[in-house]
Amino acid sequence: MSDRTDGYAAAAYALASAEGELDRVEQELFAVGQSVESSPELRDALTNPSLPFDRKEGIVRDVVGAQASRVTVNLVSMFVAQGRGGDLPEIASALAEQRAASAGRAVAEVRSAVPLDEATIARLTAALERKTGRPVEIKAIVDPSVLGGIVTRVGDTVIDGSVARRLRSLRQTLQTR
Amino acid sequence: MIHLAQTTVLAAEESGDGGLELLLPATPELIAGIIAFALVFFFIRLWAMPAINASLENRQKAIGGQMEEAEKAKADAEKLRSEYEAQLAEAQAEKNRIIDAARGEADTVKADLVAKAEAQAAEILDKARADAAAEKSRVMADAQREVANLTVDLAEKVVGSSLDRQTQLGLVEQYIAELER
Repeated sequence: MSDRTDGYAAAAYALASAEGELDRVEQELFAVGQSVESSPELRDALTNPSLPFDRKEGIVRDVVGAQASRVTVNLVSMFVAQGRGGDLPEIASALAEQRAASAGRAVAEVRSAVPLDEATIARLTAALERKTGRPVEIKAIVDPSVLGGIVTRVGDTVIDGSVARRLRSLRQTLQTR
Repeated sequence: MIHLAQTTVLAAEESGDGGLELLLPATPELIAGIIAFALVFFFIRLWAMPAINASLENRQKAIGGQMEEAEKAKADAEKLRSEYEAQLAEAQAEKNRIIDAARGEADTVKADLVAKAEAQAAEILDKARADAAAEKSRVMADAQREVANLTVDLAEKVVGSSLDRQTQLGLVEQYIAELER
């Protein structure tokens, strides 16, 4: 995470805390970040300098949804207005990490090809807490590029048990043999 | 002329003396002539002869000097000639030496050029071989990479479509089990 991303996340954290909507804003912002990350078209639209801001704001409202907090909408609009629409996934992750860190927890970003049920997430949380030695908050992301298995990122540590990694490894082996 | 001789003979006959008297001068005249001759001889002997002798001597000396000079000049000329010939011979030798040296140098330059050309040819050949080997390696590596990419791309497609939910959950389960270990 860059200083700028952390700065934006800190601003979002301060604003959401002041409004008393930190949990909600964090979750909504994370969801928006996932939408931007999984849709190159959405990222292009939000970062397109020739697209008028009004259009971008309309897109933001569509993405965030009508039920979203006013704080979330305003924050996302502000980030887009600042030309940081493409950085929304990183800002959301940084916000989650800052919030977890303030609560003494670590954020584990868990990517899987299929949605994980509650029981699986609970087992994963327990396993990661034992591994890291501190409370863990899981952010589950469905990412088809994983193909199968799970990729977990806790801070700078990545535990990659995905089929995609095995195929990457196979590709590398075949290329260098 | 005949007439004059006849006249002279007639005059002699007329004087009654012999023929010899006709030829000889009179005695006083003879004595005066002898004295005059002696005087002239004396003066010539006294003044003219030494001058003539001195002149002759000088002339002889001058001729002798000229002869000596001529001899000397001849000797000088001979010396010059021999020097010239020596110089000529030396120049000839120098010329031969320079030609030999030039030939030697030309041979050396030629040998150098040939050696350089051979070295360059060998270098070009080596480089061409190395380039060919590198190109072959590159092509092989490209082909290998291409085959690997195609293989893995195909594997991704096969895996992506063949992993059903049950298999997916099995992979997740396997992951958690490894984490828990």
